[in-house]
Amino acid sequence: MVSQNITIKNEQGMHMRPASLLSQMAAKYDSSIKIMFSGKEIDCKSLMFLMAAGMKCGSEIELVCDGADEAAALAEITAFIESGMGD
Amino acid sequence: MYKGIAASRGIGIGSICRLIEHDLSFEAKIVSDTAAEKERFRKAIDSFVEDTNAMADEIRKNIGPKEAEILLGHAVMISDPAMSGEMFKMIEGGQCAEAALTAVCDMFIGMFSQMPDEMMRQRASDISDVKVSVLKKLLGVEDIDISKVPKGTVLVCKDLTPSMTSQIVKETVAGIITEVGGKTSHSAILARALEIPAVLSVPGIVDAVKDKDTAIIDGTEGDVYINPEGDVLAQYIIKREEFIRKQAELKTFFGKETLTADGDKLEIYCNIGTPKDAKKAMECDGEGVGLFRSEFLYMDNTHLPTEEEQFEAYKEAVETMQGKTVIIRTLDIGGDKDIPYMDFEKEENPFLGFRAVRYCVANLDTFKVQLRAITRASAYGKVKIMVPLVTTVDEVRTVKKLVAEIKDELKAEGIAFDSDIEVGCMMETAAASLIADLLAKEADFFSIGTNDLTGYTMAVDRGNAKVAYLYSAFQPAVLRSIRQIIAAGKEAGIPVGMCGEAAADPLMIPLLMSFGLDEYSVNPVLVLTARCIISKWTKAEADALADKVMAMDTEEEIVAALKAAAKE
Repeated sequence: MVSQNITIKNEQGMHMRPASLLSQMAAKYDSSIKIMFSGKEIDCKSLMFLMAAGMKCGSEIELVCDGADEAAALAEITAFIESGMGD
Repeated sequence: MYKGIAASRGIGIGSICRLIEHDLSFEAKIVSDTAAEKERFRKAIDSFVEDTNAMADEIRKNIGPKEAEILLGHAVMISDPAMSGEMFKMIEGGQCAEAALTAVCDMFIGMFSQMPDEMMRQRASDISDVKVSVLKKLLGVEDIDISKVPKGTVLVCKDLTPSMTSQIVKETVAGIITEVGGKTSHSAILARALEIPAVLSVPGIVDAVKDKDTAIIDGTEGDVYINPEGDVLAQYIIKREEFIRKQAELKTFFGKETLTADGDKLEIYCNIGTPKDAKKAMECDGEGVGLFRSEFLYMDNTHLPTEEEQFEAYKEAVETMQGKTVIIRTLDIGGDKDIPYMDFEKEENPFLGFRAVRYCVANLDTFKVQLRAITRASAYGKVKIMVPLVTTVDEVRTVKKLVAEIKDELKAEGIAFDSDIEVGCMMETAAASLIADLLAKEADFFSIGTNDLTGYTMAVDRGNAKVAYLYSAFQPAVLRSIRQIIAAGKEAGIPVGMCGEAAADPLMIPLLMSFGLDEYSVNPVLVLTARCIISKWTKAEADALADKVMAMDTEEEIVAALKAAAKE
């Protein structure tokens, strides 16, 4: 299991488009991919859970990947969130 | 007759087709053959996703990629593991597909509708749309295929959803009536884009009509008639023909120069309030911007707009106009506006008080920021500076001196600008009119603001119902003032424009042509109308009419004479 602390950077937070892109990216991996945010555990492969969690610009999150391809998943998704998720 | 919101202009006459919301109630039951139920659900989702993608394609082609994205999101949502994934699990546990769909969707609708973020709350209505669409698939309820309605159909419904609007065919739908929605709603925007007459927010209309009833829609006035009497119908058939003929005529003026019947060239500019409006001015074929109000930068702000903020806004408008003239009016506010970060004191008579150029020349630090931003924007096109509420020559001299200083500064700093940037007067006070000859020696151009000129000349507050009858640009005093300002400008060889509502008034235009007005700045939607009217008058005809009405001594007589002479 590997993990990484990240801050959400895009102005509008985790709205429809970034959540959609993020869930599609997470779905490519076999590992379980979760975000720990304000005491909740969010399944990154679900667009709906990502949106419903209410992550905003400035929110501090922990990305946790667990499985065979965990290192690659952690690297790609961390880079994606830090780049502002295409916004 | 029913009254609603006039959302899309034109007259529509046709046979009603009601788009009724179906009864989507179902009885939740326990299923034993869960495999078959899952298969039934799978088919419903596949069919929904297929429909949605097809509709998104249509919308992308007909409306735009952004609108299509909303629908594509619906397909992504249902495919989400937290949505269909959970639903399949519930079906496996013995629930029927309808119940599983409703339970999971309602859970998310509840979750999203309580989120603090407005954008997230809107997702609740997306999920609701998805739920209804999939439920229809499961229950085998078919919506009317709007794309297949016969020619001359008037659609009547509670509200037009994006999925309904995507099916509308311009050639078959004669009009749209809804119970909800306003001028800026999705339905209104679409109806205008397709040029289909629409009246929205007519309460109870769906229950008040039957299919195949005859309906008249006046989308210009917001009127709806159901099964009208023969004479009303006949009257509206004529109105419709007139509207269609007029629209077709106006379209022939698109992309053309503004020419009088003699072939003399004039110019139609636009009045705008934000940089985005500049796009509208271009789309409506405006030949420039005759009045860019800068107040939006100050009104919707928490602090004095910085030079960069202002520069970016002006630059955006100037670049949009692609080299066409943009006349930017400097700050025009005073004690009538409550702007927390600016210390305007409450005044007894704010319109006669410390405002506009009077405030600016007394607060040179604030004013300089704006003038620097405007001057910098001049590097990106043709920019002119217009000073509002001028009453003395000194005010113009002060602004010109300031602009000269700013040019020296920018030069020293190596920042680009147009060294020929012009400074003109907004002519809107009786004082400015009376000293127009003196102002013309200092100003590079005049622009007549007829709204305030009428108010200040007639000493009347247009908002006061008891004296509002005096508020008319056709009062002999106002017409004389306009004539004098234009004459003074001509005498000094500077261009004269007009940016008040009168510039687009079909009755006023021949007089302005006779007086010698060069540039008519109007609301973007009136560009072609103004150009069309100008094309119908020769200078000699306009002069004859002006001679006649300028000898009259009452406003009533003048308006009556202008109406009698009007050319449609």
